Amino acid sequence: MKNSTLSHRAQLAPRAVAICVASLTVLGGCVAVQPWDRDLLAKQSMQLNPHPNVLAANEHIYFSKEGSSGGRTSDGGGCGCN
Amino acid sequence: MQLKRQKAGALRAALGLLTANLLVATAHAQAPETVPISHSSTTDSDEDYESGSDLNSGRTRIDSAVLFYQEAGGRVRAIEPVISATLNGSGGEVLNLRVTSDTLTGATPNGATPSRLTQTFVTPASTGASGRNASSNSESGSTIRQYKVAPHVLPVDDSFQDQRWAADIAYSAPWGEQARVSVGGGFSTEHDYTSYVGNVGLSHDFNQHNTTLAAGLNLEYDQSKPFGGTPTPFTSMSGTAKGGDKTKSVVGAVFGVTQVINRGWLAQLNYSIGQTNGYQNDPYRIISVINPTTGDPSRYLYEGRPDRRLRQSIYLDNKIALGPTTTDFSARAYHDSWGIDSITLEASERLQLGQQFFIEPGLRYYSQTAADFFHDYLLSSQALPTFASSDSRLDRFHAMTESIKLGFKSSPTTEWYVALQDYRQSGSSHRAGAPGALATENLFGGAKATSVLFGVSFAFW
Repeated sequence: MKNSTLSHRAQLAPRAVAICVASLTVLGGCVAVQPWDRDLLAKQSMQLNPHPNVLAANEHIYFSKEGSSGGRTSDGGGCGCN
Repeated sequence: MQLKRQKAGALRAALGLLTANLLVATAHAQAPETVPISHSSTTDSDEDYESGSDLNSGRTRIDSAVLFYQEAGGRVRAIEPVISATLNGSGGEVLNLRVTSDTLTGATPNGATPSRLTQTFVTPASTGASGRNASSNSESGSTIRQYKVAPHVLPVDDSFQDQRWAADIAYSAPWGEQARVSVGGGFSTEHDYTSYVGNVGLSHDFNQHNTTLAAGLNLEYDQSKPFGGTPTPFTSMSGTAKGGDKTKSVVGAVFGVTQVINRGWLAQLNYSIGQTNGYQNDPYRIISVINPTTGDPSRYLYEGRPDRRLRQSIYLDNKIALGPTTTDFSARAYHDSWGIDSITLEASERLQLGQQFFIEPGLRYYSQTAADFFHDYLLSSQALPTFASSDSRLDRFHAMTESIKLGFKSSPTTEWYVALQDYRQSGSSHRAGAPGALATENLFGGAKATSVLFGVSFAFW
């Protein structure tokens, strides 16, 4: 029973991603921000990782204290802390 | 003694790095700017700070920081200086080098449950110096160390100490008009652990650069070289020599789309998957075997985990600019083959204060289920399971993080930042069905930690 539940969940994940990607792509097709309208997007605070050292420190803390990891980038920790 | 020397050395190194950064950054801030600031005429209060993309516009950028991390109850303490250099080529190439040092001291749970009795544990002596509850034992040429834990106290080995060094390199370059390729590698070494990482990535822009599709492949190879050797799972705790080194490998991939939703809204969606094969036990961690009547420990066994683990996650991040604020909201759903499901929600609000400062409070909520083989303890009346671990990181728990980040731009190309963080795990402390005296013991071994990070980033031409 447990295995079938896990298997079902594992199958759901790619479907959910496909749906989300398709939704965003369609939405993107409707909105095209021109280069001269990208002043807000060019702000430092709009970068996906404006302070890499802060993010790296946080990811390292969470990786060593929690059972989950990954998401922003590929999986993998590179230390013996977990 | 050795512990004190190491702590002092780490502190000196951290302070040395800070001082060097201060001198270089100050000298740079006082130097005349050779490039005009094109947006100085703007009236938007945050433009002078933010337009700096100046921070990224130089040919070279140095970004360094020092993290001070302390867990409550005298547990793990870490000092982690990091310095990175980013070199931007004229053709859009980017080379990043990063070196990290990590000094860890303090106490870490050994996996046993608290008890109404004083408990005695043994471990290889070379895992660290003597702690406050430890007493040396010269069995087998002083390779064994014995330490005692008082009644009703979560057993921790307070001799924990390690020094980690890590170096990473990443290079990316344009590939045609719309695509970008990247390659990277990393190396990390500790006294008892070594890790090698390599990765490649490809991204492609579509829709007038409003949509970016990206894919990456990550490979990792780790070597575990425990002090005293690798114990066989479910053998009794001992300080005698055990098995040889162990390895594990990780193959991971991430697929993502980044989408400009509108002029002030950017979204990113990732799906990542990773398969780990090989040794994934904590070689020092034990699990108590409990008398089902009294609730007292009868013996301690080394833990055992499956040697395969498949992880999957979906991650969504949103960045929304509105006036002087920028909102960041992200969510992650995670599932792995060990039975852990988790949800992570994170939000922060960055507020510009004038032209030189910003403040960014943040909240993070995390919740996970327990791994299928998590047990607080085993019962001596029952047969041993195939796998078992009492690692609190595999337990069911919630965690909250409250954080605040402050930034100060002392020149168009120099930014100072501080990030403070309070992290608290909470879980079930008293388990239903715990036998005898164990019913009144707090079995949850989760962590509470406070950290502060100081950093400075500056660019030059």
